[in-house]
Amino acid sequence: MRRRAWAWLALSSACLGALIGAIRPRYGGTLTVELSNASLLRDSPGASGHLSAAIAETLVRAGPRGIIEPQLAVAWQREPDNKRWRFSLRPKVTFHDGEPLNAVSAAPALLAALKKHYGDATVTAGGQALIVQFDHPVPDLLAELARPETAVFRRNETNPMIGTGPFRVTAWEPGRRLTLAAFEDYWGGRPFLDSIVLSLGSATARADVFDIPFGSARHVVPEGTRIWASPASELVALLAANPQSTLLQALSLAIDRAPIVNVLTQRRGEAAFGILPQWMSGYAFLFQTVPDVARAKQLIVQLRLPSINLTYPANDSFARSVADRIALNARDAGITIQPTTSAGGNLTLVRWPLESADAAMELTRLLTLLGASERAGSLDPTKPETLYEAERALLDDHRVIPLVYLPEVYGLAPRVHNWEGAQKRDPFRLNLENVWVDQ
Amino acid sequence: MSFRTKVFLSITTTVVITVWIVASVVSTLVTSSFERQDTQRTAALVSQFRSEFERRSAEVERRIDAVANSDPVQRLAVNLGASKTDTAQYYDQALALAKEQSLNFLELVGPDGSIISSAEWPARFGYKENWLLQPIDWKSQGVFLQRAQLADGPALALITVRTLNAGDGLLYIAGGQRLDKAFLDSLSPAPGMNIRLIRDLDAPARSDTADSKLADDLIQDVRARPHELSLTGPDLTLTAIPLLGRDKQLLAILMVENSRAELANLKTYIQGTAWIAGSAGVMLGLAFSFWAASRVTQPLLALAANVRDVASGKWNARARIDSTDEVGQLAQDFNQMTEQLVEQRDRMIQAERVAAWRELARRLAHELKNPLFPLQITIENLQRARQASPAQFDEVFHESTSTLLAELDNLKTIVGRFSDFARMPAPHLEPVDLNQVVGEVAKLFDAQLDALDRPRIAKILQLDDNLPNVSADPEQIRRALRNLVLNALDAMPKGGTLTLRTQRLDGPVESKVALEVSDTGQGLTPEECARLFTPYYTTKEHGTGLGLAIVQSVVSDHKGTITVRSEPGKGATFRIELPA
Repeated sequence: MRRRAWAWLALSSACLGALIGAIRPRYGGTLTVELSNASLLRDSPGASGHLSAAIAETLVRAGPRGIIEPQLAVAWQREPDNKRWRFSLRPKVTFHDGEPLNAVSAAPALLAALKKHYGDATVTAGGQALIVQFDHPVPDLLAELARPETAVFRRNETNPMIGTGPFRVTAWEPGRRLTLAAFEDYWGGRPFLDSIVLSLGSATARADVFDIPFGSARHVVPEGTRIWASPASELVALLAANPQSTLLQALSLAIDRAPIVNVLTQRRGEAAFGILPQWMSGYAFLFQTVPDVARAKQLIVQLRLPSINLTYPANDSFARSVADRIALNARDAGITIQPTTSAGGNLTLVRWPLESADAAMELTRLLTLLGASERAGSLDPTKPETLYEAERALLDDHRVIPLVYLPEVYGLAPRVHNWEGAQKRDPFRLNLENVWVDQ
Repeated sequence: MSFRTKVFLSITTTVVITVWIVASVVSTLVTSSFERQDTQRTAALVSQFRSEFERRSAEVERRIDAVANSDPVQRLAVNLGASKTDTAQYYDQALALAKEQSLNFLELVGPDGSIISSAEWPARFGYKENWLLQPIDWKSQGVFLQRAQLADGPALALITVRTLNAGDGLLYIAGGQRLDKAFLDSLSPAPGMNIRLIRDLDAPARSDTADSKLADDLIQDVRARPHELSLTGPDLTLTAIPLLGRDKQLLAILMVENSRAELANLKTYIQGTAWIAGSAGVMLGLAFSFWAASRVTQPLLALAANVRDVASGKWNARARIDSTDEVGQLAQDFNQMTEQLVEQRDRMIQAERVAAWRELARRLAHELKNPLFPLQITIENLQRARQASPAQFDEVFHESTSTLLAELDNLKTIVGRFSDFARMPAPHLEPVDLNQVVGEVAKLFDAQLDALDRPRIAKILQLDDNLPNVSADPEQIRRALRNLVLNALDAMPKGGTLTLRTQRLDGPVESKVALEVSDTGQGLTPEECARLFTPYYTTKEHGTGLGLAIVQSVVSDHKGTITVRSEPGKGATFRIELPA
């Protein structure tokens, strides 16, 4: 009996050891990533959205709920008038080519990025301190600095992106392939992976990680593949060329978002009734409505309905499916909509990527895109009700009909580990230094 | 209408009618032949359509069976029956299967009638297809026509349905192929034929048909009572074959167009030929009419000219005899007739001369007998006085010689009047105011009219002040007028009214003047009026019958006319018209 008990103990210990060994992070290995969009690899190595953070880092980064956290900058101060900001850079940080990060080396990239949005920006370097000065108040500078576009990096003849991130660029064939290698001197510690190879994906997913665009055939994935979806990072909406409140109100009532979410996004999307998603604004549920075809019919009964063309992006099968479904819903209400890829339609189906976890900043950006930038002036990041009122007024104008929020979806091979943890800190970035693979 | 015209019209009408009849008969025969051919061609095309329909139906059944037996569909059926499977993952399954089986339509429908996946309209997932839920053995239904709703409008399809057990319910697989232009293109209509599928039966006008009204009428008729029907228009023949659905409802119409262009061209050719033949007939009629005129009407025209010559007094006119036919016989008869007429005229002239001489002799005897009798008595008195008493002889002698002289004067007067009539001189024409002549003559008779020893005769002058001068011999006009006035006075022994009237007559060619002498005497009978101007004819007891003859001679010499109108008891009016 005792002998038998010892045998069970030994077996259990072996299994537990094996289990512990399986979930323990391992160094080494190459992670292959296939992307379906060639443009992600064409314009810049850092243009690949979530993956850009692996190469170049920003001074600060947004936390899970949009709270700004230190990254390359460990501390910052601002004058009361929000015109002058002082950032203290993290010490002992080096670029991928070995040059230490200091104010002098960081200032050019930062200034170039800021100049795109703030023409009056000046950056002064002093040791490990960066002084950013504006002629006008810039209270949301931290949110701006958390965006990937303001990442600090340099470039030379052989390397288009020399950053401070956990991975460095070792090879880049624009539009085809990008190869990254672990940066041994990363200030946050060497990443688990030895290298990452990003390439333009094929129809059949065979890499460790592959993106699954909506509307593609990739939703049928190899057995064992895990599906990972980011928080809502893209808004799909209808934009009216000419506001016709009654007609668009009727159309909004006729659209049933549930089938779009359940079928066309395979339950990965989220019905959109407002501009900002719930996770970002916290009040999006207040805009929720239910389809009411009968009410839509009543609204248009007195209208002389024009011929409505719905323009959707060409070569976008998901957008086409959504446009067809909207045309079908509209038809039930007596509204005839003709989906088309020709520009100049009365309605346009737009897909707007969300770029920041900061609700005020994101709403300001989207209001600008909608041509309603005047409403942005009333936004106060500290007062969510101002955001709600601005968004409510925008929706009441019936110039935009939100349809669905889409996440980024990736298929993960069984050998990939801790991909979910890589995204915990910033919903718009993947911290690939924490990802590891079985070998 | 001339003979030539009649000949022309007769020939032309005959030719045209003949050509029209021939053209009509040929056209009718050709039309009948074409319509028979059209019917045969249409029947052949419809037969071809039905064969293709059956072939495709079998193909559709085979392909849908393949879909129903495919792994994805079998797996879907199993999953649906096993648990509450999320059907969202299958929403584009039908598209792949339809592509694989070359199907235009394919829907996977769940047990509740909700579309799980639709190939023809992928966006319709979740919508209901309640018609599938009917308790029907779908396999026994085979392939049927169905109107399918697509995003771009309704379409007609050959549909069949299969079912798979999915737990307690059924998974419906409904699919097929489109019955469209490609289907019709697989047929091979004969040249001039066109085949169309009319799906939208409510469309008012069909501009793709040559005769849209005919097509509309045909469609309305077929809609009212679905059966095969043909209508023929001027340009085409339309045959409509109703295409019925599973429940015998009319879903579409197969329209077979048979162009009648070839028939129309042939008819046009026949009509053109008929026109040419008709025109040739007209020309032939024209030529023949000229020929016939030269052969037939020329002798007749010559004969007519001879008749006119005879009518104008040329009694020696003779027709030329060129043939022995009816026209030649007519000319011969004409010549014989004119010869007889001349002989009769000569005899009549001779008779009239004899009659005139007899009348003259009677007159002369009558006129001369009156003076001769006193002469005889006087001479006998002289002889008796010579024998009885010389003393009385002288007295008797003087009385007798006076009587002899008086009677001799009377004889001389009578002879003179005859002499004057015989020696009527030619008029010396000069401008004459007729009103003045009338006034002068009327004045001559004033004393006679006003004589107390005879009944009163009133005189009325009605003279036209605008009377133009006439070219006349004033003395002869006065003489004629005096004769007329004397006659008038003689006609009114019991008194009455004498009216002298002048009047200007303006004609279209020339102007005339009229002179009328009217009395209110006993009047004349029509017979008397007819013979009134005959020389030596008189109604008076002591008239010579020369007065009115002289008047007529004068008027005739002045290129004028004299007429008389009278009724017994209502007087008489003599009217002289002279050129102005």
